[in-house]
Parts: sequence; C-alpha cells; structure tokens
Amino acid sequence: MKRRRWLTVVATVAVLALVASACSNDDDGGGGGGGTDTETAVDEFGTVEVAAGEPINLGTLMVISGADAALGQDSQNGAVLAADYLDGTFDGTAGQLLGHDINWVHEDELCSAEGGQAGATALAADPSIAAVIGTSCSSSALGIADTITSEKGILLFSPSNTNPALTSDEAHQPFYARTAHNDRIQGAVVAEYAVNEAGATSMATISDESPYTQGLTAAAEVNFEAGDGTITASERVNSEDTDFKPVLRSIAEGDPDVLYAPVFVAACSLIIKQAADIMPDVTIMTSDGCLSPDTIEATGNAIDGVFVSGPDISVFQEGEFYSNEFLPAYEDQFGSEPTAFFHAHSFDAANVIFDAIEQVAIENDDGSLSIPRTALRDAVFATSGYEGLTGIITCTELGDCATDVTIGIFEGPNWPVEGGEGDGQPVFSETKSLDDVL
Amino acid sequence: MAGSGAVKTRVQRVGGFATLPWRRIILIILGATIAFVVVVGSYRTLTLPAAERYSGDFWVDQIVNGLGQGAILALIALGYTLVYGILRMINFAHGEVFMAGAFISFFFADAYVKSGFLNSNPYFSLLILFVVSIVGSTVVAVLLERIAYRPLRNAPRLVPLITAIGASLFIQNAFRGFFGPQPYGYPLPDVLAGSVELFGIPVSKVIIMVFVVAIVSMVVLQWFVHRSSTGRSMRAVAEDSEIASLMGIDVDRIVVVTFIVGGVLAGIAGVLFSLTFQQVQFTMGFKPGIAAFTAAVLGGIGSIGGAALGGFVLGLLQAIGPPLLLTGFSIPSPFSIRDAFVFLVLILVLVFRPGGLLGSGEAEKV
Amino acid sequence: MRPAMRVGASGGIVTIFLAAVGLIGNFTNLNLIGDQVTFAGLMLLIAPLIAGYVVTAPKLESGSLVRVDRGRAAILGAVAGVVAGSVFAAFVVFVDVFGVERIRAIFLNISPALMDFLVGERPVPVAAALLVAIAVAAGIAGAVYRVLPDAIRKPLGSAVWVTLLFGFLQRIVPIALDQLDIERDWLYSKTTRGLTWVGAVVIALVSAGVSVLKDRKGDAIRRAVAGRRSREAEGPKLTPLSFVIALAGLAAVLVAPHVLGSVISEVLGTVMVFALLGLGLNIVVGYAGLLDLGYVFFFTLGAYSLALLTGATLNTFVGSTAPAIALDLNFYVAIPVVVLIAALSGVLIGAPVLRLRGDYLALVTLGLGEMIVVLVTSPWLDPLVGGPNGMRDITNAAIGNFGFRDPKHFYYLAFAFVVLALFVSWRLANSRVGRAWTALREDEQVADAMGVSTTAYKLLAFAMGGAIGSVGGALFAVKIGSLTPASFTVLVSIQVLGIVILGGIGSLPGVLTGTLVLVGLPGLLREFEEYRLLAYGGALVAVMLLRPQGLVPNVRRSRELQEEDREQDKWAGDVAADEHVAAAASPLGESAG
Repeated sequence: MKRRRWLTVVATVAVLALVASACSNDDDGGGGGGGTDTETAVDEFGTVEVAAGEPINLGTLMVISGADAALGQDSQNGAVLAADYLDGTFDGTAGQLLGHDINWVHEDELCSAEGGQAGATALAADPSIAAVIGTSCSSSALGIADTITSEKGILLFSPSNTNPALTSDEAHQPFYARTAHNDRIQGAVVAEYAVNEAGATSMATISDESPYTQGLTAAAEVNFEAGDGTITASERVNSEDTDFKPVLRSIAEGDPDVLYAPVFVAACSLIIKQAADIMPDVTIMTSDGCLSPDTIEATGNAIDGVFVSGPDISVFQEGEFYSNEFLPAYEDQFGSEPTAFFHAHSFDAANVIFDAIEQVAIENDDGSLSIPRTALRDAVFATSGYEGLTGIITCTELGDCATDVTIGIFEGPNWPVEGGEGDGQPVFSETKSLDDVL
Repeated sequence: MAGSGAVKTRVQRVGGFATLPWRRIILIILGATIAFVVVVGSYRTLTLPAAERYSGDFWVDQIVNGLGQGAILALIALGYTLVYGILRMINFAHGEVFMAGAFISFFFADAYVKSGFLNSNPYFSLLILFVVSIVGSTVVAVLLERIAYRPLRNAPRLVPLITAIGASLFIQNAFRGFFGPQPYGYPLPDVLAGSVELFGIPVSKVIIMVFVVAIVSMVVLQWFVHRSSTGRSMRAVAEDSEIASLMGIDVDRIVVVTFIVGGVLAGIAGVLFSLTFQQVQFTMGFKPGIAAFTAAVLGGIGSIGGAALGGFVLGLLQAIGPPLLLTGFSIPSPFSIRDAFVFLVLILVLVFRPGGLLGSGEAEKV
Repeated sequence: MRPAMRVGASGGIVTIFLAAVGLIGNFTNLNLIGDQVTFAGLMLLIAPLIAGYVVTAPKLESGSLVRVDRGRAAILGAVAGVVAGSVFAAFVVFVDVFGVERIRAIFLNISPALMDFLVGERPVPVAAALLVAIAVAAGIAGAVYRVLPDAIRKPLGSAVWVTLLFGFLQRIVPIALDQLDIERDWLYSKTTRGLTWVGAVVIALVSAGVSVLKDRKGDAIRRAVAGRRSREAEGPKLTPLSFVIALAGLAAVLVAPHVLGSVISEVLGTVMVFALLGLGLNIVVGYAGLLDLGYVFFFTLGAYSLALLTGATLNTFVGSTAPAIALDLNFYVAIPVVVLIAALSGVLIGAPVLRLRGDYLALVTLGLGEMIVVLVTSPWLDPLVGGPNGMRDITNAAIGNFGFRDPKHFYYLAFAFVVLALFVSWRLANSRVGRAWTALREDEQVADAMGVSTTAYKLLAFAMGGAIGSVGGALFAVKIGSLTPASFTVLVSIQVLGIVILGGIGSLPGVLTGTLVLVGLPGLLREFEEYRLLAYGGALVAVMLLRPQGLVPNVRRSRELQEEDREQDKWAGDVAADEHVAAAASPLGESAG
C-alpha cells in the first residue's frame, strides 16, 4: 500500500512538472526592458530603457580565469579603456555617452561550451544590457553564446573569435559580429608566405583538439594546395601531450619544406624545441595562439627562425595614439603591458557600439534613453570605413567587421610581444579581405 | 531451507545467463580480433609502398626514444609498486610527487642558467638539481603519507583511493596557484645537447644520461631492497604486516621509508623528464603518473621487476604500437590515439593475464 | 601547551599557503559585509580560528571525555593564535625584507597588492604585531566558541555562517530578489556589492532565531517525521506530516525557475544533469561497490548518441555537414535507444573486465574513460562526430511547439528525468537486486559461495548505471544545443565520483546534496572559478579523513565504513580502562589492525 502511494505521488509529480512547464510560457518579457511603444515602430526585440541618471549597462564575456585568463583579461581591459576614453582622455574614469555613464558587467566564459552558456545566460537575463563584447574563445561562441544573445536580440561583438564558422552562411547568428579577423584570412596569408616567400612546395600541418587550430590548418592547407603545393601530412595531437617526437618523426619522413603548427603555448613550445632536433632544416610556422611571452621564455634559443603569424597592427602601433596614449594608460590602470593581442580589437568594438548607440538611441523628454535593439544591431552592421586601432572597420552582412585584415608574419626571435628581441616588425605583411581567400 | 532453495534457483536463472561459456566465447573472439589486428596491421604497415612507408631510421628512433621514456616511466612506476606492496593502496598522487620535485628543481636550474653556473660546472649543477628534486619530491611524499594516508591505514579500500585522488588534485592546483598555469622552459646544459653515435645509431646525449641514471637507480634500489636490513624489513611488511610487527618491525617507520624511496625515485625521474622535454608545467605529473601506474599494473603490481619491465614495455609500446598497427589500417594521425592505444593494451593484458606480465596469471580474488 | 603550539604553527603555515596560492591577495576587493569584512580578511582569520577550535577539543582520557574549562580554553586559543600569527608575521617580514618583486618572480601571488593589504602604510613591525594580534583574537574566538554553552553556540554559529553565505552569494540573491520585485538595496549595497551592515545584522538575527526555534520545536517535528526513517529496507513510511512536507518541498522545486530567474535556473539545469550522472554512478559505486573511475565514458556516449540519433550536424569551418551516420528521430524516441546502446556497451565492456579486482578495475575504467575522450577528438572519428569543431543543432526535445532549451524549461525536463532516476534507484536498492549488490559489496567471495551470481549482478549494475549516466549525457547535449569534445574530460569522472562520495555513498539524498554542493555552489560562486579544483581536492581529502560516509550518509554504508573504527575505539577504550594492560600492549596494539 505504501509503495503504491509513493508511485502515485511520483507520477503526479512528473505530470505536474510537464504541465507546469507548459503553463510557464511567460518568460521575462520578449527580451529588452518591457518593449515600450515609442514614436518609432515597435522593435521586435524591444528596447533597452535607461532611466535618467542611470548608467548604460554593457556586458563583457571573456575568459578571465584559468589558463587562458591573460587573453580574456586583456580584451576586457580594452573595453574598459574604451569607456574611459569617451571623455577624450584616459583618466581612469569612464566618460559619458549621451549624458549617461557606462557600466560594464563582466562575465566569465571559461573558454568552454558550458561556460559560454552560463555567462551568456547571465547577461541575457539582465534586460538592461544593451550589448555584449565577447567572447574570447570560439568554442564558447559557436552555437552557444551567439545563439543565446541572438535569441534575445542582444548584440554580441567579439574581439577575438577567429573561427570561420561563426560568420559562415549556415551558422551565422543575426546578432553576432566580430572585429577579429576571420582565420580563413590568416591561414591564407600563412600559405602565401610559405609559397611565395619561403619557396615551399610541400607542407605538413599539426592541429590539436581545438576548433581554432582546425580552422587555421584547414584554411592554410586549402590555400597552399591552390598555390600548387602538396600537403605531406595533416597530423592531430593533443594539446596536453609532452612527447611530440613520434609525430614529428613521422612528419619528417614525408620531408616537408614547412611545418605549420598553429597550436597553443604549451604544445607549441614543446614542438618547437623537439622539431629543432628532429627536423632542423624544416621551416616552422605557427600562429597567434602561440604568440605569447611564455612561448619565448619556454623555447629559449630554439625560437630563432620560427615564424609566427598574427594581426599586424604595427602601422597603428607606431601611431601616436597607440604608443603615446593607449599603452601608457593600459599600464597605468592594469599594472602591466598588454598580455595578449586583442585589446585593440576590443577597444574598436566598444567604440563602434558607442557610435551606434549615439546614432539610434532615442532621448526622451524625461532624460531617459531608449535604445531599440534591432536598430542598434543594424547600425553596427552598417559600419563602414570606420578607422579603428586595428584597421578600417567595415562590417559585412555575416558579421565580419574586419574585412580588410592585415596579417603579419614575424620571424623569431623578433616576435612582437614581451621577450621578443628586435623591433617587432613583420618580415612579411599582407592585407586581404574575405573575397580574396578561399 | 526451502526458502533458500527457492532463492537459489531464482538466482541461478539470472546467473545462468552469464556463466562461463559466454565469457570464454567473448574472450576467444576478442583474442582472435587482436591477433588479427596485430598481425595484419603490422604486415600492412611494413609493406606499404616505399613512398608511404616509414624508414628504418624512423623505427630505430622510435625504439630508442620509447625506451628512454620507458626508463623514466619505470622509475615512477617503482614508486607506485613499492607503496602498493606495503599498503595495498594506489598512491594516485604519486604523479604529483614527481611533478613537485621537477618543478622545484626548475627554479634552481633557471637561476643557474641565468648566472652561467649551469654551463660552467654542468655536472655539479646537475647534481644539485637532482638533490633538490629528490628533496622536493620526498617532502611531498612524506607529507602525503602523514596527513592523508596514515589516518586511513585501516579504512576500506575505497577511502584512501579517493583521498589520493583528492590529494592529487589539491597538490596540482596548489602548484598552479603558486607558480601559475604557464609552462616554464627547463634549461639543458650544453654538455647534454646533441647526440652521439652508438653502434651506428644516433642517440641523443640526454637519453644516454636517462638510461644510465635510471639503470643505476634501479640497481641501487635492488641492492637496497634485497641486501639492506631496511629493505628486508620492507619485504617483510609487504608480505604480511601483522606478523612483521610481531617480529618487532616498526611498520609505521617502514611505511615512511617506502614513501621516501618512492619519492627519491620520482625526484630523479623528475629531473630526467625535465631535461628530456625541457619544460615543466603544473599538469606535467598527471599523464606520466597514469602511464607509470599503467606500467606498474602491466608488469604486475607489487613486483619491483614487474614495475621496471612494465615501464620499458610501455615506453616501447606507446612509441611503436600506434604507427605499427594503425597505419596499416589507414587510420589517420595514429599518434593522436596513442593514449587510447596504451589503455587498450592494458585492458587486454589484464583480461588475459590479470596479474600482469610477471604476475601469476590467475585472477586474484581478494 | 605543546600541542597548542604545534596546531598554531600549522595554522600559520596554512595562512602562508593561502597567501601563496592567491586566496588572500586576489580577494581584497571582495566585500562580504560593508567595506570592512572582505574575503581576504576572512582568509587571514580562518586558520587561527580553526586552530583555536581544534586545540580545545575534548580528549579521550581513561575512557571518558574530558572537556576543557573556559579559562584554559582561552589560554590555549591564545597560544595557538600567537604561534599562528607569529609564523605568518615572520613570513610577511621576510617578504618585506627580501623584496616582494624577487619573491614574486617565483611565487606569482606574493604581490605588491598582497603586501599592500597586509602591511599597507604602516611600518613593518607595527604591521607584524597587528597580524599577531588579529591571529590571537581569532584563536581565542575559536577556542571560546568551543566552550560556549550550546544554547549560545548554536545560534551564534548559524548566524555567522548564514550571514557569510549570503555575503558570498552577492551576485545571485539580488537577482532572485529583483525577479520577485523585492526591494533589496537595504540588504545588498550597490557600491560595495556585498551585504550592508544593516542587512548583515538582520540576517544574523533571523538565522539565530531560526536556529533557536529549530532546537526547541525541532525535536517535536523530528519525532513526527521519524516514522520515515524507521527501517531503510521497508522504505519510508508515510505519515500525514511527512506527506505535507514532501508536497511543500515539491511545490518549491517546481516553482523555483520562475522565482529564481534564468541565471539560477541555468545553474540548476547543470545541477540536474550532474545529479543524473551521480545517481548512475551511485548504482555502480554505491550499490554494487564497483570502483568506476571512467564514468565519463557513458556521459560522452549518451551525449553523442543522442546527437547522432536526432539529426544533429557537424560543425565545419564553412558551416556544417551531415555526419556519416545520422538519423532524425524525435528526442523521446531516441532516449530509449540511447539507454539501450549504453546498457549494451556497459555489458560488452563489462563482461571481460568485471572479474578484475578493485584496483585493477579502477584503472581499467579510467582507461576506458580516457579512450573515449581520445576517440571523440581523433581525426579517425571526424566524419562521425566532427572532431574538435563538434556538433550543432541538437534537438531541443520539443513537445509540439514547446522547446526545452530555455533554461527555465530545461529545468523541468531534467527534473522529470531525475525523479525517474531517483525512483528507479530507490526501487532497485530495496529489491532482490539491491540485496544481491549489498552482498557483493560486503564480501564477494561469500556472496559467490552463497549462490549470488557475481558477474551477472556486476554487469547489471554497470549496465543500469551506464544507462542513467547516458541519459545525463543526452540531456547535457540538449541543454547546450552543441557539443564540443572539450566538455568531455577525465575530470568529469572525478567530479561525479566526488559528488557520490561527498554526498554519501549509496545514499540518494546524499547524491543530490553532493551535486548541489559540488556543482551548484561553484556555478553560483563564479568568482572562485580559479580555485574550484583546489577546493575540490581539499574537500575530497577532508571528507575522507573526517567523515567518509559523506554529508547525508546512508545508514548501512556508514556503519560499514565505521565498523572497523568503532571496533578499534571500543577495544582501545577497554584497554585504556586498564592502564597496566595498555602500557604493556601498546606497541603491538597500534599495528595490529
């Protein structure tokens, strides 16, 4: 008898659960702060209401903990500096936009799918957030953060996602854009350097279990083969391995001219050191995942002659603004030199958003602000010819705002990060747009 | 009685499903599949057309490096097996003991290379590095024993195992908290750079040192365990700790000695590993730890010879196995599956020979 | 006196450890109450506080418990505090003299910011003295806490820890309150982000009050509910009161997502998924006593099977393609298939392996977990599972037009499955199968001799546990909508094991508690993400040392675990009563298990 009673209870609970969920369709409104009607047409995703005297809330979604914290923290800092510069100077206090302060809400994406979901959900749940700058890692954005924010009509503007799929026809989410380069371009430049400058006819690639390296090696291979090269090997390794000698030896058997291994710091430095013994005559190339002071420190002398590709912002780095104002402000406020590359992209993304808000926000009589979400998104996507720190920003329909990307190839030890010896200038630099590459 | 008879028949009906005939069938099928894979895979790999085939040099290199890694694994495996013999417990945190010594010795190595001492007095500085690493590993091992394992000496098997896993996580992340998540480059003294020709095979100097140091260590260990009185006590406690204590042996002290010996070996392995790969990172203990444990089990856990053998066999296996067997079946990137391959071998060994290579060949029941 | 000094010294070393690991320096701005009580400050105090508490522990002398009197307690606490403080102060002085930058080159977290917090503008000797003074105060506080009469101690304890908890949850509680449109600025300050002093006092008073009430009325309620706990084998008895309580609890659980909002619902969704994994592993480890270290195997299998069965596509760098094998089943049709696949795999893998002894089995299962992780990222299986890029467009388990991907909706879906799994587990535990498992666990040889077919029941455990785990994996896939191999690591196995162990092996409420603590709490306290694994490892060790039966123990299992302890204690007690015998026998006694 007791057991039957429990059975009934359990069954009732299960049914109740499903019924309750079916009846719970209210949600927290259709995104945005209540979808108030204003004089303009009703925005499908509502508007962000900023009361008089209240700050405009913007979010950041970067990887600020764990092994990749340097990358995410750096981008976050770029955004904070952009708000600072709104008043025209870097004085440590944020300026104002349309008479309202800017307030950043920082979330952590943990460089993983679950983290991206958790962080994006947290931001999306806050109806006062007008836009988000993020993510750092493509794995938290692809299909996850970009979908969650697009469903609520929140613009997600990434300073460092480079995976091509994010802005592909099939997978692009309407509210996603990025100022970072599409890795199809970076891979193509690497291939071009290999073919034209290094005179290579055969190449081997090493990728690891991250989408980032996959995108790069795929792009490089496609472009290399189009340049009449042959790919001798496409090996996969684990980023946590220490012994790459068997793989390298196996690659050495195929006798390639170039080895392209765009992996991350730990694996990268090991590969560089081990390849120095096994294939001393092969040119080693890697990409910005490896471009860190830690790699230089860990590889020591083996870094000589190793090429790395990365965004070439040297033209702008030489510029007055960057070296005389931006960098000192960065060091002042955050206590060190930039730890990664994408602070500039983040700075640009933030400024584009500020401009867009200025364009589309409706200033109400009572001093409050109404920012229609779709209009904001449209304004950002309509950006054209904007001169940012990282180059000319013109956004495509599919969200690639770094349309003309300059990728530089740097030769070790002259890498453009702390610890590199030299002037930090690339030995090869190419500006391409997506139409130029395969 | 009638009741239990009824129970018996009931259970037997369920039991009948999976009694011996099925198991033997599965084992036979498994055995046949493996034999097929091994024979056919190797054959196909070795008879690939010349352009795709691996060269003889490749195999030689793989064997040499595999044995070198195997030597390091053997040293760590010995630590596992010694502790297991005495305490019947898997010291999951032994990988971190290994990492601790290596990491601590890094800071000395770094200071020495920056001051030039490393290259002006290479042998002396290497000696100091070994000593530092040994001290570091031993301290961590002894702390582990005192804090985490001793109170649980009599607990059911699950408890110390969980504690060991927790300790492993804790130590790993403590080091990460202290020193950061990034890898550090471990310097190599110039005397150890490059390679020499041994019987016409180019062997890197580091590997030669690895072999020499590892074999010397193992010989010393062997002497210690079989000739010294402490060693005798260790063997006694491993046989039967109750009787050993009745004979007047201080079991607690012997346990500590065992951990110290394991720590010493791990410390030595730490420096060897760091010199081989020239890199230390807080995660460096995890994979070698599991690999060494696998090696100890492979050779037959509880047996010193087994650990040594297991180490070398495993090293060789993970260097040669994937390319030899998998390339023949056109499986891409065989090296990325190396870890899985090693585990598969382990599982198979345990299935067909549960005591390991040097074990008794029968499933132990207790 | 000496033990007090020893404990104090350990306390000092622990504080140094906390500083070196970054738990002090990085949290000087994490305000718990007002501006004054920061997490860094808490970390500074906690070791001497616990030292004071430990040092005044009642001792077992001649068979009876000897408590420490108040005066002596204070002294002991002070001594422990002095030593702890001195050790730490010595460290601070050393760093100051040697130069922070030089130490920072090695220990990254001994930073100028840390020294700023510890020393500030004060001259070093003054700062050192201050640190010692703080430690002494903490030590005395800990000691005094021990000797307070229960009537004061319990409410005080509740007040303190509940207030601190609310301080920690400063990002979550305000969101919940906002959802309910409750004014909360008096409770959580907008400037410091932490509790206001007013709010803190209110919470402290309320929790103290609740604690007092619970004590007074608690006995009455406990007796009323006690019918439930009479005999485990028969299952809980239903009395009207317990039924009402159960219903109220259920109502709360059902209404939770709307009250708490999407953010918390999302965390709870993850909690549910891991609860499923925990329940599955509980069958394997808890009921059948099989040490499975590779549970991620079933998690991965479930997630990817579901994806492939319900028509997910592979991510490529130009968009997506179809996998090599793809079906387009409805979620509810696919789930039984996933369960079947998992059960079959469990049997197939288990058959050759389950004869192995405990430690070997642990290693083999660990290996299996590693294997599947490696396989899923390998290029070999790229055409099937998409490799590193993963898969997308996983079904949202829609019924009609109602999708379950929204965190609030997913919560219900997951909850339904958790209830189902709970039910299955509970029924299994109290059935013939459960009894066979118990026999297996307690002594395999005897069970075998008694006719319990060990292999069959082991396989059954493996298969059932695997099936439930794979459902967890499937739900995980639905929750996120995409799959990347990065989510499937050996660490998942360890986490699930931690959940089962910490919660209480073999205990169903234990598994749920364990999940809430080990998955829910980190999900809510995201500022501590860096220290999650450190805390995890420490918690596992601490639990095993102090309370191996877990937080919410299963009565029978805790008896199993403590049997040997108790026998020893009893024996020791008997022996100690006769001092002559004790003195003569001690060398033998200690080593005779």
